[in-house]
Amino acid sequence: MISHTRFLLCSVAAASLTAMVQPASAAPWQRGFVVATYEYAFRYGGRAGFERAGDIEPGSDCLHGSSVHFANDKNTEAALKQPFRSKYEIEAISRPPGLEQVKAPVLTRFHIWNRAITYRAWKRGIETYVNPWAAEDPGQPEVTGKIATGFNLDGNSNTGGFVSEDGERGIDNALYRAWGCDAPWRGNGNATLHLRANDKMQGGLYTMVIRVSGNKDPMNDDNAIVEIGYSPDKITKNARGDVAADYSYRIVKSEQYTKLKARVRNGVVETEQVEELHAPRIAWFYDHAGDADFRKGKIRLEIAPDGNAKGLIGGYRDWRKLYTENTFAQDGGQQGIREHEDGVALYYALKRNADGMADSKTGEKMGISSTYRITAMPAYVVDSAKPLGVTIIQAEEKRKDAFLAIREATIKSTKTRIVQGVPPGTTQGAFPALERNIQDLPSKEFFLKVLDRPHYPGEAMEIEGERFNLKSGDELPAKPEPSKPAASDKQVRNETASAKVADAR
Amino acid sequence: MKRSLILVFAMTGLCAMPLAALAQTPASAVTPTPPPSDILPMVPSAKPGVYSQQTVSPARFRLTVTGKTFTSREAIEKYLAWRAAELTMAQKGTWFTLNEGRQAGDAGPEPVNDDPARAGKRYSFRMAYWRPVWRYKTAGAANWTVWSPFSGQAFFADGKDPKTISDFEVSADITIRKGTMDGANPLGFEASALSDLLINQVSPPE
Repeated sequence: MISHTRFLLCSVAAASLTAMVQPASAAPWQRGFVVATYEYAFRYGGRAGFERAGDIEPGSDCLHGSSVHFANDKNTEAALKQPFRSKYEIEAISRPPGLEQVKAPVLTRFHIWNRAITYRAWKRGIETYVNPWAAEDPGQPEVTGKIATGFNLDGNSNTGGFVSEDGERGIDNALYRAWGCDAPWRGNGNATLHLRANDKMQGGLYTMVIRVSGNKDPMNDDNAIVEIGYSPDKITKNARGDVAADYSYRIVKSEQYTKLKARVRNGVVETEQVEELHAPRIAWFYDHAGDADFRKGKIRLEIAPDGNAKGLIGGYRDWRKLYTENTFAQDGGQQGIREHEDGVALYYALKRNADGMADSKTGEKMGISSTYRITAMPAYVVDSAKPLGVTIIQAEEKRKDAFLAIREATIKSTKTRIVQGVPPGTTQGAFPALERNIQDLPSKEFFLKVLDRPHYPGEAMEIEGERFNLKSGDELPAKPEPSKPAASDKQVRNETASAKVADAR
Repeated sequence: MKRSLILVFAMTGLCAMPLAALAQTPASAVTPTPPPSDILPMVPSAKPGVYSQQTVSPARFRLTVTGKTFTSREAIEKYLAWRAAELTMAQKGTWFTLNEGRQAGDAGPEPVNDDPARAGKRYSFRMAYWRPVWRYKTAGAANWTVWSPFSGQAFFADGKDPKTISDFEVSADITIRKGTMDGANPLGFEASALSDLLINQVSPPE
């Protein structure tokens, strides 16, 4: 009896102790996150206080620092040495005569440079950003460091050429090698396009959510599930302007969505590698936002005790799509001059470093290994009672159509080597911006005559909501709006019907 | 016996030629002609004797383009570069290097690997460093004259009437390589990228 009582007491004590150690060992669990920052996982190798004349932040990643394309008139002059240009033409473009006499000299020179660098092919009239292969390679500083953030995507420790920060060999992140020294993507948390893309995402351009679920312990579960996808609900910020914790977001499952098996060990979530990983892609405009479409993709997420998370999303991306997403958010020349990058150099760097998605017929590598870095805040990721789709903003759809058209034309040109024209609706070649801003420049006739520009059929065209005379570039009165615009069949709005996304620029 | 063998070869050749021609013609007969904007670019075939290649070692080749009608240095050198790119891809290579074969006393700028002025740039190709060697005959001359881009002399045809050049030959020694190209090698050329650039520009000389 005594022993029985003692046994019972011991059993109860042991059971209580077990329950205390593993309180949720067999209970279903779920953790949700809203992505707060989303960037290319480019490892910055600069060192505070280390400088070298002529180089921008040289470091262990980029020996000569960040790219300086079009950073000054000499760099621009070097990019304009096509055989069809005269010495005078190159000199005049680089340092436009009479510039000191105009009201906005910086803007005027910007548009002249934009138009000139948009035509750098082997002969006049071939637009360069749609047909980058028809121009000579201007060269791109590449990462020469050996340490990179990322995954061993091909399972081969002898390929990739990088070692991870914790010593894993065979890291495949060829996008880092190709673009890691590109000025707008390089920095210690201050890369301009990373800042821009995160600002727009946090400002409501798009929302990405992650949900991790399982049946054992949230910190250790070998049979967990990770879902990643788009949410139509805009990111909520707190009073300090940071992404707020613990808000609810619906998840869209019809597109930009992937469900993966995962294993959680000590709070580190590691998914399986899947053939296709769909999730929102990095964007800073509505027109080029969409599906990242990783191949052989996987996710790693580290959940901190405070519930916040950081992690990586990796896989092979179609390098042609990457090129177009980066180049045509606005137009190639504009982004190049503003960000000191050269789309043509980036095109060749992608092609040269492509390392995956081999075409079954030609063997050409259609993909480039890449890793994106995220930080995320805890959130409630919920299913919707009604089917959801990605938010469609009617006011921006024409611009999106123009992006899709120029992307299609570019991909076609790069695959077929048939020169493609610029589809209407874009601002390629600073048209009609140059025509409008060059009026008070004494040498305007020279530039308007000698510089190529896109030509379109018809007499008028709408660019970014305004109509222009195609010959003169003059603005035309707007067409009357149709009484009722066609509604999208998958529209889910978070804003008022009349809202535009002008603030997203 | 020798004579009959020649006859057999000649007959085989005669029979094979139309067969080969037939094998190439049906494609256009079966497939409707696409609109002009969708016609894939193609470089016309060179006439016999215009292009030749010599295998120096399994990965090393000497390519030569010969002609009688001199057009321009740029056009003929670009055609040779395109042949080098095509050969590289046919050999399942991804890039090739030009073996310059400089000799003591040569002049001309050395290819630069990674000078600070270029901010550590990497390239898929640099046409400025595609510098093959020439030899030529002027009208009435019996012997070939060699012109090297490293001689320090002006290009032999500069300032001359092209009609005075009766024969020319341009050649390059290349090594075909596989895998991701070394973008820091100034004499490296990525075959696919180079072919893309040149395919709409070149045609064989005559």
